[in-house]
Amino acid sequence: MRTKAKSRRSFLVDSVTGLNAAWITANLPGILAAQEYARHSAESGQLPPLAFFTAAQAAEVEAIAAQIIPTDDTPGAREARCLYFIDRALTTFARNSQAVYIQGLQELQAKTAQLYPSAGKFSALTSEQQIKTLTEIEKTQFFNTVRIHTVIGFLARPVHGGNHNKIGWKLIGYDDSLNHKPPFGYYDAQPEPRRKA
Amino acid sequence: MTQFTPSTNVDFIVIGSGAAGGIMAKQLSVAGFSVVVLEQGGWGKYGRDHEYNKDEWLDRNESEEDRLMSDPSRQRNTFRRTDKEKAVRGTHSYGCVVGGGTVTYGGSSWRHLPWEFNEASYDKTIPSGTGMADWPITYEELEPYYTQAEWELGISGLRVDSPFVAPMSKNYPVPPAPLKSSGALFNIAAAKHGLTVVPGPLAIITKRYKGRAACVNCGLCSGYGCHVGARSSTAVTMLPIAQKTGRCEIRVKSYVREISVDNSGQVTGVIYFDAQKREVHQKAKAVILSANASESARLLLLSKSARFPDGLANSSGLVGKYLMLGGGASASGLLEHPLNEYKGVISGAGIVDYVPSDPKRGFYGGGRLTARGYLTPLELGLNGLSPNAPRWGAGYKKALREEANHRMTITCFVTQLPLETNRVDLDPDVKDEWGLPAMRITSKSHPDDLKNMEFFRQKSLEILETAGAKKIWAPAVSDSRGGAHNRGTCRMGNDPKTSVVDKYHKAHDVPNLFIVDGSNLVTGGRNHPTMTIQALAFRAAQHIVRAAKNGTLRTSL
Repeated sequence: MRTKAKSRRSFLVDSVTGLNAAWITANLPGILAAQEYARHSAESGQLPPLAFFTAAQAAEVEAIAAQIIPTDDTPGAREARCLYFIDRALTTFARNSQAVYIQGLQELQAKTAQLYPSAGKFSALTSEQQIKTLTEIEKTQFFNTVRIHTVIGFLARPVHGGNHNKIGWKLIGYDDSLNHKPPFGYYDAQPEPRRKA
Repeated sequence: MTQFTPSTNVDFIVIGSGAAGGIMAKQLSVAGFSVVVLEQGGWGKYGRDHEYNKDEWLDRNESEEDRLMSDPSRQRNTFRRTDKEKAVRGTHSYGCVVGGGTVTYGGSSWRHLPWEFNEASYDKTIPSGTGMADWPITYEELEPYYTQAEWELGISGLRVDSPFVAPMSKNYPVPPAPLKSSGALFNIAAAKHGLTVVPGPLAIITKRYKGRAACVNCGLCSGYGCHVGARSSTAVTMLPIAQKTGRCEIRVKSYVREISVDNSGQVTGVIYFDAQKREVHQKAKAVILSANASESARLLLLSKSARFPDGLANSSGLVGKYLMLGGGASASGLLEHPLNEYKGVISGAGIVDYVPSDPKRGFYGGGRLTARGYLTPLELGLNGLSPNAPRWGAGYKKALREEANHRMTITCFVTQLPLETNRVDLDPDVKDEWGLPAMRITSKSHPDDLKNMEFFRQKSLEILETAGAKKIWAPAVSDSRGGAHNRGTCRMGNDPKTSVVDKYHKAHDVPNLFIVDGSNLVTGGRNHPTMTIQALAFRAAQHIVRAAKNGTLRTSL
């Protein structure tokens, strides 16, 4: 039962890292630097430089993220800049996931080559081919890590580098004002049902 | 700020600054005594509440400095179901900051009902072989202190006249939190089932009170420090008053390893590790142990001496035993219209008709159903979608969009029968970060507790269906492994052979040691212990002050 802060938090940490508790050994200066950097890039209107991935790796990770939360009639992971959240996370919060990405990208390359020998790289596949490829690896630690990081990048505060222009929050109708007045929803706005005497 | 030297023989050391410790520190210092509070956590944002972050991601990746809960990788603990098992790494954690768990809790402040104090003799359907026992005090004795706690701390709620809610001599000082959509749906279902809905009493003020601002319904509540100071934690209600007396020093990052005694069996002070892990021996005339049921028991067991070879205050052999953990069940459903449950307090309305046990259900036990929606963005995205929703791709995105804000969750809080075999003791193999034996939790719920959880799971599903939920689901019930709400390891009683403290919280074996926290609870209530812990603390403090002033603590106060 997830009733209290700690159980909720450990549940999340577990779901993110499996048994690897090193995730939570984030250091504050790193986090603050990342926030400052995200703020700077948001203000300057430019895409931030990559801190961890090469351009080639970034293209692959962005293509995966864009399949996890695709762009349709509304923006998805690509527009939310989940790639940049992940890139910064790998040098701060998620330093210990670096190896998972490096190795996972190599395996993705191999899987792509196996399924589509002429393609060269995952990001060059058609969307349908990408989905087929990811379905084959969806049980791997790599895919699960990218999936979780993408979701977090999509829905965490924009200050962490993703959720650009609050794209994620707009999709789920989240009001981040942190100051709400009733009625909060549809049902509490209705007249109360007549109670038994 | 007041500072004492370790060699100063202060009147009281209070170990722990949480739900009970904060009250003890305030009551004793206001009464004129010198007090050193030893808190193993840090200050948090004490006095700077506006600095508490409301960042869902940072909150899950706190720096060591910003942690508000204990860290199972430092405050290591192990867990096993039964004595036959080898304990494995545990996840138990508790509030670890000035103010303790009250800094981050949901704030539920239900009183025990009058009959919960003599349930053992009142309810003939309790299965045999459990440790159910009557309290040495009655509800009537404790009632004035419930009222005192509610008014001094600032509890919001609504006094109701119901057999399922404790009677109150005075209403709450501030009105209940606004009804959420889940509460409105509770009302719809309850009207059809003939059930009683009550706004949850909460340690969250809904109007300006005692100089503090009202809740702004920000929605990032349980698990977060309150950035407007509306949560009535002891860090914003009690400890500032204690400090203002000039007689109370709060020492953070102080990890107590032993309560020391002299040859006559009286407590002389405590030994703790400071932030640099240097040992400090603070002298005191009396010690108040308010370290949380799990840690208080462990500390007594760690405090072995020639005179107390089995641990301090443990002549009964019961220190650590009759541990009760938080048990429950939950169910969720998707409604047609948006509820926006992420807004407002976490714990809204409660259905209280199943608080008493009823033999017709075929087992002993009771509890409350609470509307407890809390789907902030990351929770929704990572764990919040309905069970068969896709985990990625177009289907995932569709589910995110459609299910967001339409979910209602019911969380139930139920009894756990006290069993002698459920306990806290010292792990023979594992050490904590300070090199001390780690806490070991052994706990397996009584079969009736599991039947009770299943009953509440089914009830939750029924109520969601009646409320009009289209898609309903409920995870299988599971037995607890620790965490908040742990109670009962140093039970209160008149007989030193069957209890650890007397009715005034004095250790039966040690004249100047008082244990005041959830460990004293003889019965668990319906798994909402904080208000009872706080009423007990006010009552204990009054007695201790009176005894100390009369010189009847048998010490040189």
